[in-house]
Amino acid sequence: MENSIVKSKRVKEVDINKPKLTAKEFKRQWILVAISAVYVIYGIIFYYLPLAGWIIAFQNFVFAKGIGGSKWVGIDKFKFLFSDKTFLMVIRNTFVMGVLNLFFSTIVAIAFAILLNEVRNKYFKKSIQTISYMPHFLSWIIVVAIVHDALTSTGIINDILLRLGILKAPYAFLGDPKLFWGIVTLSHLWKETGWNAIIYLAAITSIDPCLYESASIDGAGRFQKMRYVTLPGLRPTIMILLLMNMGNVLNAGFELQYLLGNGLVQNVSRTIDIYILDWALDARNMDYSLGTAAGIFKTVVSMTFIVVSNYIAKKKGDERLF
Amino acid sequence: MKTKKIVSLILASMLAVSSFAACSTKPTDTQSSGTGEPAQTGDGKEIVDFTMFAAMAGKEKNEGNDIMELIAEKTGVRVKETWLTGQDAGEAIGSIIASGKLPDLIDGGDGSVTLYQNGLLVAWDDYLEKYPNLKEMYTDEEWDKFRMDDGHIYWANVFGNSYDHNTATGHNGEAFWIQVRVLEWANYPKIQTLDEYFKLLEDYAAANPELPDGTPVIPYTCLCEDWKYYCLENAPMFLDGYPNDGCCIVNIDAGMDNPKVVDYNTTDTAKMYFKKLNEEYAKGAIDPDFATQTYDEYIAKLSTGRVLGLCDQYWDFAYNIMGPFASPLEATDGTTFRLDELGCDYVPLGLTAKPGMSQQWHSYDDELNQSSGCAVTTSCKDPDLAFAFLSALLDQDIHDLRFWGIEGVDYLVDDQGLYYRTEEMRENWKSDSYKAKHTCEYSYCPQWMGMSKDGINRMQPSEQPSEFYEGLAEPLKKCFAAYGAQTYSEFLGSEIVVNAPWYPLWSWSNNISSDTPGGIAWKRMGEVKHLWLPTVVMSSDFESDWASYQAAYAECDPQAFLDEAQAEVNKRLETAKSYGWTAPV
Repeated sequence: MENSIVKSKRVKEVDINKPKLTAKEFKRQWILVAISAVYVIYGIIFYYLPLAGWIIAFQNFVFAKGIGGSKWVGIDKFKFLFSDKTFLMVIRNTFVMGVLNLFFSTIVAIAFAILLNEVRNKYFKKSIQTISYMPHFLSWIIVVAIVHDALTSTGIINDILLRLGILKAPYAFLGDPKLFWGIVTLSHLWKETGWNAIIYLAAITSIDPCLYESASIDGAGRFQKMRYVTLPGLRPTIMILLLMNMGNVLNAGFELQYLLGNGLVQNVSRTIDIYILDWALDARNMDYSLGTAAGIFKTVVSMTFIVVSNYIAKKKGDERLF
Repeated sequence: MKTKKIVSLILASMLAVSSFAACSTKPTDTQSSGTGEPAQTGDGKEIVDFTMFAAMAGKEKNEGNDIMELIAEKTGVRVKETWLTGQDAGEAIGSIIASGKLPDLIDGGDGSVTLYQNGLLVAWDDYLEKYPNLKEMYTDEEWDKFRMDDGHIYWANVFGNSYDHNTATGHNGEAFWIQVRVLEWANYPKIQTLDEYFKLLEDYAAANPELPDGTPVIPYTCLCEDWKYYCLENAPMFLDGYPNDGCCIVNIDAGMDNPKVVDYNTTDTAKMYFKKLNEEYAKGAIDPDFATQTYDEYIAKLSTGRVLGLCDQYWDFAYNIMGPFASPLEATDGTTFRLDELGCDYVPLGLTAKPGMSQQWHSYDDELNQSSGCAVTTSCKDPDLAFAFLSALLDQDIHDLRFWGIEGVDYLVDDQGLYYRTEEMRENWKSDSYKAKHTCEYSYCPQWMGMSKDGINRMQPSEQPSEFYEGLAEPLKKCFAAYGAQTYSEFLGSEIVVNAPWYPLWSWSNNISSDTPGGIAWKRMGEVKHLWLPTVVMSSDFESDWASYQAAYAECDPQAFLDEAQAEVNKRLETAKSYGWTAPV
């Protein structure tokens, strides 16, 4: 009984906020409709129509023959993918590097934003902020060149460790598979922390100052204010960003791994994107179908991630995307 | 150097990223419609601009390059060449095909067959009849080897093809190279085995740890990047005395009529070789960065003169270090010195598994590589003009312009008609900046080696005996004299054999696609070796890692690949027989 009342109340609310789509209403809002139509058309042309190309994943696609002339092979390409040990390996690599990156970049960016927020001197704060987000504007290729130089036997890292006596001989960091994921994560942190922190800094400034004042009156110290005011205030922002980034976990990267990788670390460095490049776009293989199949897999998994994490967020009553 | 590296890296990433995204990117070669005022040829015709992409690392020419303009006036065609940057050939060609924007002329390297399969190349057949210069490059039997499965010819390999007869002075192939100053220091010993080679490198490095400018020496380095890991990978084939078939050994113990394909990755020699490298790595004689260095880093390293020894093919490193070796450097005591005068030039050693074995590091005959070459694409608006241009490049006067330069500026002619250069001219031709603004070899277009059509000179100065010898730095001359050699090939002292009809088998394995079990095995074998070969070299427990490597290797089913290699050898043998080849007695 009670339940139905709640329900009907909700329906009413919706009714109030959302006018019915009638011809009159449509006419009244035609400018808005026209403006949004541009984006809908854009989306259809550039995001939905190309999906028709997925069809070649079920073919043995040959450029010269086109979609009409290529042979249909059903799900053979998917069968090959999942029987290929290398593909399972690149899924693992992509997933692990994506998660490591998401986890650390979120934590470090939040920590950095909070710490930076505590800095009292305005000029010092501004300059630190500017310096820290500069690397974001470098392309990966430059970052890779820097990382590569720093980690060679004569690079700065080996140099420092040798001088401190921690190492006796130069260490081949780039050739050690155990270190590769760490190097990738750290490179990401170096490049993106400052940039990622900007949004958290913005969110912090929007926290009501009254909360800090009353916390002070209640006798909260700086750390307590961070813990009980700033962090809870950031929670909605963190959740939204996490959700959005969940869909990007499988976009763990291409340039960085591609350029930093070598024979010794190939089993931990190759990502799905590199696998696709190798099979689909390398002239020696040119298997567009297999590449498309791998791409479909990636999209489906990413979608699942977003939907599932959104569902969990909904269950827990947190902010959500849809 | 640094900026250039960064720029090339940026370009590489742009290509790599764009190829991955497969969106409509502009590859490095778009149809250029010519810049500025349309220039004219001597007879008033407008000069046509073509583009060319070669799937190889190379240096671009400056706009308005002197000889390029001269050739344009004579032929009516100017070609803008672009090269591979960062990617490997397969990826570059793959992205060009995906983008659909092709240059007019292309050397697709390993991607050549894919270009053909996608119907992007123009058949040569009709033009061969029309342009005798082109037809003359090969015999009918050789042209037939270029025919694809549709019976047409789509490209011609331009290298190692001698007019009249092979007059090679150099050794373009693979060897263990050593700086002449090391040999000089040890009073020119006879070096035949890996043990002797590494002992000498270590002793020299211990006695001379630094260059005059204070750079520490590296006794030995080895490139492992991408397909160039052959520098590490295929030495066991040569050490056992076999020629460069590249993907396997072809054993002819049962006679030339009965060749048998053998895997060189699992032989005792292979184990011995990698064990030796492992020991040397542990001793610190091998560059700690060898497994992770990029080609650019490798060349930068060699250019400083600090690397005493390496295993590589001549063309892969030598042209890139000539410039730096001929430039003055400042020593720590303030004096200047030059690396070539110091004796940093490399000479090839024909090492073998056991002392006194005969070896075939050097191949005396022309090697016909039908797997790739210069091709005209279907994007070319005027293919006839393109073929006319390629043909004109083989006219002796234009050929001389390409490789000798302008008479009076780049070479002189004595009263016998013999071309020669002064010291200054030779230095010019070593200088990268001079080459960018003045010389125009069109080095991936048809060309000749061997005798010039005038019967006096050689097609290319590197083969002119007098020029070759005069062009050598003093320490090299002394070294050659000490061993009684006139040329690199004599120095190397390989056994003189006529190439087998299936040789070189790498012209098959380079193009093997992953459609067959053998092709997939080949891809997997490559991946396993990329991982395990540097691992066993750097291992602290060689025996157990070697066993793991061999196990992982066996899992790739190498037999499937070897079976297909055997079939290819048999096929080539049959073809040769059908042209009247008989086994030498």
